[in-house]
Amino acid sequence: MSILAFCRWLAHTWLGVTMRDSTWAFAIVEIAHLLALAVFGGAVLLVDLRFLGLGLRTQSVSRVAREFLPITGGTVTFMAISGFLMVANGPVRYYFNPAFRLKIVLFLFAVVFHFAVQVWAARKEGKGEGPSLWLKPAAVLSLILWLGIGVAGRAIGYV
Amino acid sequence: MPILLHFCEWLYQTRFSTSIRESVWVFPIIESIHVLSITVLVGTIAVFDLRLLGALMKREPVSVIARQVLPWTWAGFAVMFGSGLLLFIAEAGTNYYNLAFRIKLALLFLVGLNPLIFHTSVFRKVADWDLAEAIPLRARVAAVVSLTLWAGIIVAGRMIAYLERP
Repeated sequence: MSILAFCRWLAHTWLGVTMRDSTWAFAIVEIAHLLALAVFGGAVLLVDLRFLGLGLRTQSVSRVAREFLPITGGTVTFMAISGFLMVANGPVRYYFNPAFRLKIVLFLFAVVFHFAVQVWAARKEGKGEGPSLWLKPAAVLSLILWLGIGVAGRAIGYV
Repeated sequence: MPILLHFCEWLYQTRFSTSIRESVWVFPIIESIHVLSITVLVGTIAVFDLRLLGALMKREPVSVIARQVLPWTWAGFAVMFGSGLLLFIAEAGTNYYNLAFRIKLALLFLVGLNPLIFHTSVFRKVADWDLAEAIPLRARVAAVVSLTLWAGIIVAGRMIAYLERP
């Protein structure tokens, strides 16, 4: 089944119809998405800042990565679910929205990239405080990706 | 309050306000900065609040987390305040009547009061409970109040557009 065919199918499911027809469902899901974004953004910011040697500096890279994993992992999952619910409001319309397409591509890359780094960092036991050379560029890329996803998300309503 | 209304209406008809409001790009860009910077302001304060609730980084002293995280929160606040002020100037005439905006301002006032009380009372003696297993009730209350108020502010902010009168 192609993605477009899936979108057409989704539009006719109970979920698709509810998200489209209910006056309050979309608004509530969108606000939940925004609230989760607030927490996710703050958590990912502090994790990447730590990778850059800023913010929570007195705790090891490994500790910060590990302690924040439930938060970054949990909130990003919540955002993916709430995001999917919003798409169900008009799947075909989102399918053809260039800002949304960009957002999804960036998101898939960001979630794999960032969490690979955060999980790796969480696992390495602090053998001395010397973080790998690539951790800082990885953190910068992570921040740029998440920022790009946010901007693309904002652009959805304008393109 | 007539003088406040007159001020908002005056602000609304200034060239500065009108240019932001009627621009194609400027308003959406300022609004995007405002929305995305929520992560810096609210996200980092949420992390601190979670520490106060003992849900995160429990082995680190509260005062250390405060010292390392709150400067970023302040940076976020500066961006939120600046962008928010510009958005308000652009929409002063309509925001005056908007219930969601009024509620948002009231909540912002309260969310400023909360840390003021926190920092001048229970946080003064933070050395006593920096690493305590049982965090003082007042600190935990402050954290819950903070998270609730910020959530309310975000919701109220989002509702502004929904309550816009044509």
